[in-house]
Amino acid sequence: MFTRFKSKTRKLFLDPYKSEAVEINKGEKLDIILSPSLYWVKKMKLPITNIREVKKLLPSIFEDTLPSSHYSYTAYKKGDEFFIFAYDDKKILDLLHKKEISIAQIHSIHFAQTEFIALEGAVGINEAQAMYLKDEVLLLAPLEWMSHTQNLKLENIQLSKETIKLQQFGHIVDNNNLYKIGLFMMVLALIFVIEIFITSSRRDVVLDSKDTLFSKYGLQPTMMQNRSTFSKYNKIYETQMQLREYLSYFLSMKLEDGQKILLVDYQNKILYVTVSGVKKGASRAFFSQLDAKKLHYTTSFHGENVKVEIKL
Amino acid sequence: MNQINPLHIGALLLVLILFLFFKLSGIKEELVEAKQEYKVSKKLAVNVSSLKSVYENKTKTQEAIERILRQSSLKSVNFNLKKEKKSIKISSKSMDAQALNSFMGKILNGSYNISLLKIKKLNQTTASLEMEIIW
Repeated sequence: MFTRFKSKTRKLFLDPYKSEAVEINKGEKLDIILSPSLYWVKKMKLPITNIREVKKLLPSIFEDTLPSSHYSYTAYKKGDEFFIFAYDDKKILDLLHKKEISIAQIHSIHFAQTEFIALEGAVGINEAQAMYLKDEVLLLAPLEWMSHTQNLKLENIQLSKETIKLQQFGHIVDNNNLYKIGLFMMVLALIFVIEIFITSSRRDVVLDSKDTLFSKYGLQPTMMQNRSTFSKYNKIYETQMQLREYLSYFLSMKLEDGQKILLVDYQNKILYVTVSGVKKGASRAFFSQLDAKKLHYTTSFHGENVKVEIKL
Repeated sequence: MNQINPLHIGALLLVLILFLFFKLSGIKEELVEAKQEYKVSKKLAVNVSSLKSVYENKTKTQEAIERILRQSSLKSVNFNLKKEKKSIKISSKSMDAQALNSFMGKILNGSYNISLLKIKKLNQTTASLEMEIIW
């Protein structure tokens, strides 16, 4: 920022038909004055006073006069009339590039129209053309038409405040479309940010609920411990259910005459049931009832007493 | 006069949107996982809590057993009750078949952790009983 104020500026008349090379000293900045060849200008009265409203109308005002290209427009008011301009950014940028002037070396850009408003007579701007004022509009004319022309002198010119900024990328994307796309993307990004905020809040609520669940049900700190506890109790539940199931089998068995349950003994997860009156190899009905229940059992005989053993 | 290429700004915004999109996808995935974990945890919590209240509640078990033994159908039976730190032992040297049926019906229909059970037929109408319930 400080170097900007310190750097020297030099005025340069930029004309596409001037073959003279431009020399720029190191650290020097240029105030470019655009030749009338690089823009279109009209002076007109409009039934609008607001300059912003006028600028909106400019593309339609120039519509029929300009060759096909991408143009930027600007305007300023002088008295009751407007000076309206159209210029091709790319054409000017290409010329700057051709003359080896980088964008960084430019301090400001002006139209010749705004800087030569007090021009008297005609001024030669290149080998073939001169410019002169007619009805406050700066015009170009062939040198031959002029009886007398002066040399172009920029030293005494006091630059006006009317400047333009070149749209370096205007030819790639239209500004309006660019703003629309940019706005759409910003809105989309904003929606994503809001969605992220809402979703992460919901996730935090669920995680908090999980912590509350642990304290509400008096669970142990880790899921592994809780799964282990559940497994232990579930095993007890399954064993007890089996015990009840097997006891109900024996208590509901149809015993033959002379058969009686003498002892029901359950300990160390083994159920023993001793039944009297069961003859080895002769009491098929008794064992077929057990087989029908698909029980895994072992038997041992003591006389006519059979001891059925079932592991739970 | 230097200007930023609008395509660069567009690319930056696109990268930002992609970053936010992936971030959002990640957080959504975390939310789904958190919900799933909550569901699993709640199911486990309810199961552990209910099983624990059934099999590890000393007072509840003791009171339930005493309530069974006080019932009119078992008043005639001489039960021997022995309360220990981790268990309760119930025994009767002799009880009739009707009382045994009533007692066993109530015990087997309840949720008790029976660690020992011995029913021995003494004669046609009586049997001895030995039972231990732990918690």
